[in-house]
Formats: sequence, C-alpha cells, structure tokens
Amino acid sequence: MNEACQRYAEDPEGNAAHLAECAKCREMYATLDAPIESQPVRVEALPVAAWEGAGYRSWPLVVGGALALAAVALGLCAVAGISPLAALRAGANFDWRGLLQMGAQAVKPLGPIGFSALFIAVNTVLFLLLRRPPRGIDA
Amino acid sequence: MRKAVLIALTILATVVTALIAAPPFKTSMTLSEAASMMTRTAVIVSVLFVWAIAAIVVTLMSGREIRYSSIEVRTSPLHCFALGLVAVTSFVLTAILFSYLIPYVVGIPLLIALAVFAILTKIYGTIAVFHAVGAIVAGTRSRDDLAKRRWLRGDLALVVIGVLLLGAIRLIPVVGVIAWGVASVFGIGTALATKFGRREPWFLVFRPVSD
Repeated sequence: MNEACQRYAEDPEGNAAHLAECAKCREMYATLDAPIESQPVRVEALPVAAWEGAGYRSWPLVVGGALALAAVALGLCAVAGISPLAALRAGANFDWRGLLQMGAQAVKPLGPIGFSALFIAVNTVLFLLLRRPPRGIDA
Repeated sequence: MRKAVLIALTILATVVTALIAAPPFKTSMTLSEAASMMTRTAVIVSVLFVWAIAAIVVTLMSGREIRYSSIEVRTSPLHCFALGLVAVTSFVLTAILFSYLIPYVVGIPLLIALAVFAILTKIYGTIAVFHAVGAIVAGTRSRDDLAKRRWLRGDLALVVIGVLLLGAIRLIPVVGVIAWGVASVFGIGTALATKFGRREPWFLVFRPVSD
C-alpha cells in the first residue's frame, strides 16, 4: 500500500480518481462493496446442544425412580432378614488394608529402585495425560 | 429406537440375572445359598439407592459440571479410560509409598488425604458416567423430540436413568462387578480430565517473556 492508497483509504470521496489508477485498490474495494449473501440461520436444522433442556427437573421420574429403588431395597432386606442399615454397612465395607498389603506384595519383587522407577513412570504418564485440555463441548 | 434399546437392555439384564440366580441347569439350591444370594442382592440394591440419592443431590448442586464431564466421557472415551487406569495405578502406588511413611506419623494424614481425594473422584466420576449412560440411551437428538418429552429430559432424568440401568447391570453376578469397575475407571478418568467438570487446566503454563 503506497501513500496514494493510504490517502484514498482516509478520504475516499476527495481522492476518487485514485481508484481509476490503482488496480489493487479497485479489486479490494470491489470485494468489500460486494453484497453479502446471507441466509437466516435455521435453528431447527442445527443439532441439539447438550445444555438445551438440561436444566429441566423431571421430579416425577426422579422421585419415582428413587422410591422404586427404596421399595425394592427395603423389600429385599425384609426378605433377607437384615436391617437396611446393616445392608448399607455391608455394602460400604471395603478392605483398604488388604488392598494396600496386596499392592505392597505385588511391587515387593521390584525392590526400592524398581518401585521408584515405576512410581515416577506412572506419575509422568499421569502428568502428560492431565496436560491435554478437555475436548468436550469443542468437539 | 432408543426406547426399544432401553427396554431391551433392562429385560436382558433381568433375564441374565434370573438365569444366573436360578439357572435352569441347576436343579436345586441349598437354603443357605439362596439366603446368601438374597442378602447379597439386598446389599447391592441398598447401596444402589444410596448411589441414586448421591447422584440426585450432586446433579442438583452442580449439574453443569456433571454434564461437562459426561460430554467429555462421550467424546473422548479412550482418553478418559487411559487416564482412569493410570490414575488408579498412581493412587495405589502413592498409597503404598505413603504406607511406608506410617512409622513417621506423616504417612497417616497423607493416606487419609489421598483416600478422601480418591473417593470423591470416584463418586463424582461415577455420577458423570451415570449421566453419560443416560444420555446415550435416552438422550434427545432433535428439538421436536425434546419438546415432546414430558419426563425423560434434563440432567436429573438422565442421571436417574443411568443409575437404574447400571444398577440393573450391577445385579448380574461377575458381569456387574466388571461393568462397575470399568465405569469407575471411566469416571475417575473423566473427573480428572475435566478437573471435576470445571474444564480448567491442572497445571499453569508460564509463557516465555518476550521483549
């Protein structure tokens, strides 16, 4: 862009003769002045976004589902002859110590150096995987 | 179509459960075996009820975060699964490392902190998987479909559908345990991949100073 082009850009009416001289500006301003063919967006044709209708709270389904589960659980507890609390306690029972001991036994043959190498390798992979940004709504 | 899949899956889960619970090839079952199975089923359904309540409460509190994590597990399932597997391995290895520190006292609070983080990740992630399963089976594909539905729409409904479906699968011996294990791995992966639905980076990237 030379000085004449700059002057035309600043004052098109005062330097109207420039367009006849400069092919580049003629082409550029012809493109800019061309009518834009726009079409109205057809919302119905677009795929449903994840957030559409997401805030709706379907209480009959939620309450019905929860009550049905509660009824089945209470019925089964009654048939099995245990209290619901005892069933929950049994369900929540998890042998953390056993799992930890099993894990410790599994890595024992590696020795301290092998365990350290494994620990660093696994956490490096975890670090690398965590660095990837989520795709989700951008996909 | 999806309704048919939903009904077919539920029927299939029920039939498989019934077949395993009372196999036609096994003529008799002792009373103690039957009682043991009934107790096991009662325990599973009771825990499922707690899962349903937890899922409803968490979805009411942070529905958008659950939805974002659910979208992530549906769009990047392999990444979520790989991340979940690596994270579980890392949790176990870190717990073993911390257990070596128990004699030095500091190991106990570290182990407790790790356990709390792991449990929260699993709970949040599994609820996101419930939502994902619900969205896959009963999600809407068009606005007409969405407008027609009275009950089967919204995050809460999808989460409840997911709990009921995965719960039905959980009742199947062996298969149910494996399916829930896989769902937990997916859940832990998506919870960590989206930073509990907040979609923020875990690590800050410092840009080089430019002149």
